[in-house]
Amino acid sequence: MKTMQWLVRRELWEHQGMLLRAPLVIAALMTLFVGVMLLSGRDMVLSINGQQATLSEAINGAYLSDAVEPQRKAGMLRMIASGYMAASAPLFLMLGFVVFFYCLGALHDERRDRSVLFWKSLPVSDASSVLSKALVALVVAPLIAIAIGTAMSLLMLLMLCSALAFKGLNLFPALLATPELYLTPLRIAALLPVYALWALPTVGWLLMVSIWARSKVFLWAVGGPLLTGAFALWASRAYELGWNSGWFMQAIVARVLLGTVPGSWLLFDQQQRAELLDQASQRIDLPGIFAHSWAMMGSADLWIGVGAGCAMIFIAIRLRRWQEDI
Amino acid sequence: MSALISARGLSKRYGKQAAIDDISFEIAPGRIVGLIGPNGSGKTTTLKALLGLTRCEGSLSVLGMDPRLERDALMQQVCFIADVAILPRWLRVSEAIDFIAGVHPRFDRTKAERYLANGKLELSMKVQSMSKGMVVQLHLALVMAIDARLLVLDEPTLGLDILYRKQFYQHLLENYFDQDKTIIITTHQIEEVEHILTDLMFIRDGKLLLSASMDEVGLRYTEVMVALEWQAQAEALHPISTRSVFGKSVMLFDGVPRAQLAAFGETRTPSVADLFVATMKGRNA
Repeated sequence: MKTMQWLVRRELWEHQGMLLRAPLVIAALMTLFVGVMLLSGRDMVLSINGQQATLSEAINGAYLSDAVEPQRKAGMLRMIASGYMAASAPLFLMLGFVVFFYCLGALHDERRDRSVLFWKSLPVSDASSVLSKALVALVVAPLIAIAIGTAMSLLMLLMLCSALAFKGLNLFPALLATPELYLTPLRIAALLPVYALWALPTVGWLLMVSIWARSKVFLWAVGGPLLTGAFALWASRAYELGWNSGWFMQAIVARVLLGTVPGSWLLFDQQQRAELLDQASQRIDLPGIFAHSWAMMGSADLWIGVGAGCAMIFIAIRLRRWQEDI
Repeated sequence: MSALISARGLSKRYGKQAAIDDISFEIAPGRIVGLIGPNGSGKTTTLKALLGLTRCEGSLSVLGMDPRLERDALMQQVCFIADVAILPRWLRVSEAIDFIAGVHPRFDRTKAERYLANGKLELSMKVQSMSKGMVVQLHLALVMAIDARLLVLDEPTLGLDILYRKQFYQHLLENYFDQDKTIIITTHQIEEVEHILTDLMFIRDGKLLLSASMDEVGLRYTEVMVALEWQAQAEALHPISTRSVFGKSVMLFDGVPRAQLAAFGETRTPSVADLFVATMKGRNA
């Protein structure tokens, strides 16, 4: 346990630029942008229940001003309180890329710079080394993204409300009394298990390629599944084999390549995708996303992926025993 | 005392090429063994096999363990320094100390900090900003703070200037080596290690040409400065090498009694470097 803690810390030292500094910089830039926009007095366009309105219209008009009936106003506040984390969507998208490239290099870079000889000269098993990297990819990196995303979203909300307060509309008392405000970060954090399980096949696949490939890791990791998919499509067409290559692309290729993007599970189930897209055009429905996400825990697709991911991580552990520096 | 390392029929192939070819040896505790051979002779492969870093055939026991199956347990008792490049570039001195202290039960943090205090290294320095000499200094300080029974050095001083090289071995002997420790060294700079070695192993093309203690080497090999008039008689005893110095022949004999050779001229124990060259050349002919 203590060893695992040090191994995770080691990963953070090595990759602090990617795991910590990059999201911090993006968050800072986004906050700065919002700040400048607010200071310059530019009106923000809000999309409320499918209707577009600028912020000043919302204040003066039918949504937030004191003239609005209390019930409707409370509904509005709930919406803001449950939707403000949407500001951190770019961070979560970036998390997908960061985890992808982190895994791709995790077991390859140390062999290329020969530092694997140093790490292997310490009494740390291959299993702990590989598992620590999987743990960073599946849990630690998302936790960092959630923490930074929450802080940034709250900061933005604070700035927005301050700007509104200057315009004479004090939302603070009402907003702070809205339970959704506090629940939203927890809801996001509670999606972590779904993320970790859903990303497992991708992380396993990338770690396996990372230890197995002698060079051109990216090409093997991405080109391999894509070419196999293309071949299946061609073979099925050319010989009328009737293979379901669309299924292959979605159930295998997409799962091993896109799993690290948060929320990618929502696009997996076709019916669910249609439902969500329909709703998404109207508003951000975080409780809905939350429910849908946890519903994935009951799907066989998820658990088959988990099994495959564990198997690939196991193979990566076995391969690390004998793979030498390159 | 039983052997610390025992290898029997050790072989490793890369495709058709044999990197090490059926070698057997034993190393007793408390020895300093020089594993010496030309480039590509299988030195590094042998060391990697001992450390469980490469797959190989044959039976192998290091401190009673099979390194192929129990590398992580073995590494509690074994330390390894390879030529300078293996510390990761992003690592800070303080991180290296913290990490090893965290994962290694036999690491003494205060010892490492004491060794480092003597040098120019600061805790906030990163490996990438260090000179080669400083990296080796760091690695040596880390390793000397580990209470291990076996230290494996693979070309530890490659690319260092003479000051660092001298310092390296001096440190090692004064502050580290004792009766309970065993050191295996591979190096090209034979002259620098020859006075500290207790045992010699010559390796070429994956085969062990010689494995003996320095005492045995002294008994077995004799170098004679042969006077001109004795040249023919000396040749008849089949020296393994002959070179001429100031018009006299210097011949190296294997297994000829020193008393017998004394008649031809001045005798002495050959240097490891001369013995190495002679052994390598002799088998070529």
